[in-house]
Amino acid sequence: MSNLEKYTNAFVTCFEVDEETAKRLKYQDISAWDSVGHMGLIAALEEAFDIMMETDDIIDLSSFEKGKEILSKYGIEF
Amino acid sequence: MELNRQNIRTYSLLGSHRTFGQIALEFPKIDDKIVILAADQCSPAGLEYFRDQYPDHYYNVGIAEQNLVGIAAGLAKEGFKPFVTAQATFSTTRCFDQIKINMGYMNFGIKIVGLSAGLAIGQYGATHMSMEDIALTRAIPNMVVLSPADCTETAKALLAAAKDSRPTYIRLSGWMNNPIVYKEDYDFEIGKAITLKEGSDVAIIATGTMVYNSLKAAKILEEQGVSVKVVDMHTIKPLDKQAVLECSKSKLLVTVEEHSVIGGLGSAVAEEIALYKEKSRHLIIGVEDHYVKPGEYNYLVKQVGLSAEQVAERILKVL
Repeated sequence: MSNLEKYTNAFVTCFEVDEETAKRLKYQDISAWDSVGHMGLIAALEEAFDIMMETDDIIDLSSFEKGKEILSKYGIEF
Repeated sequence: MELNRQNIRTYSLLGSHRTFGQIALEFPKIDDKIVILAADQCSPAGLEYFRDQYPDHYYNVGIAEQNLVGIAAGLAKEGFKPFVTAQATFSTTRCFDQIKINMGYMNFGIKIVGLSAGLAIGQYGATHMSMEDIALTRAIPNMVVLSPADCTETAKALLAAAKDSRPTYIRLSGWMNNPIVYKEDYDFEIGKAITLKEGSDVAIIATGTMVYNSLKAAKILEEQGVSVKVVDMHTIKPLDKQAVLECSKSKLLVTVEEHSVIGGLGSAVAEEIALYKEKSRHLIIGVEDHYVKPGEYNYLVKQVGLSAEQVAERILKVL
């Protein structure tokens, strides 16, 4: 599975949305991406990529696209 | 419920206070008589999901902690199993008489979930710090006092309490992104301490957030040739006397807690070992007997000398 597939899959699984919806998502666009859902997403991404994110990055991850930019700091290429 | 790496990390990110809200969703599966009463702490306790899914099982009594326990007692008398929640300091000191009479004396199995215990919300000052909640609650007959080490253990303690009939205080300490002690599911039993690490020179008995710091302190000490045992005393009352007895055989017994040095875990252990014929010296590490000035959580932990490095240093000084 490619990094993009793993990344997208985390959104699809956590928020129970299809891939196309996942790729357009921003924080609080849907009820599932609230503060609790956000922490579930972070945990899923950390598990998928075997990383531990810093607090500032956890807060800054405000959209699907922004998340890709943040994960690049951890050596994950898309 | 299954505890796996992903939800353990999610709970850690949420902090113990909001982990409560997630675990509460399991309560109706355990017992339909469980109800939750909050003193205007729905959001801090992460109870929005519970409130929305089980509106007939959730009551917001407003910022009125004495009524919180009083109403819970009435519900308990009618056969319900109430969990009540408020900030730790307000849910213990402000309604101490209600806890003594309605929980202790009446022996109603009400569960108090004390949010943000210790220094967690120390930015609001001494009014919001709970340094005496263990001392107060453990002095009341019939009470069980739980103090989980991390958010995994918070989940385990809450689930165990939901199945237990005794009046219980559950002290939730630490803040968001709470360090993880238990990375996978494990067996938890009220009153049964957990040895996390064996060692022969020093035995550290820790509770709450200080379990993680004590493990780190042990690592520092090990690098200097000191062998350290670390025990997670998640239940302050009833105390695991056998675990204390075993720890008292080391050269130095240390207790570490994010609570006053008066009346907490250190005192409970000291009371237990007082009559032992042979015992090691006992170093009580906690918050000294003074009010702490306001500040952010991690800053305050260092201000009161409870960082791993400071704990290790204190131990080395008396070893």
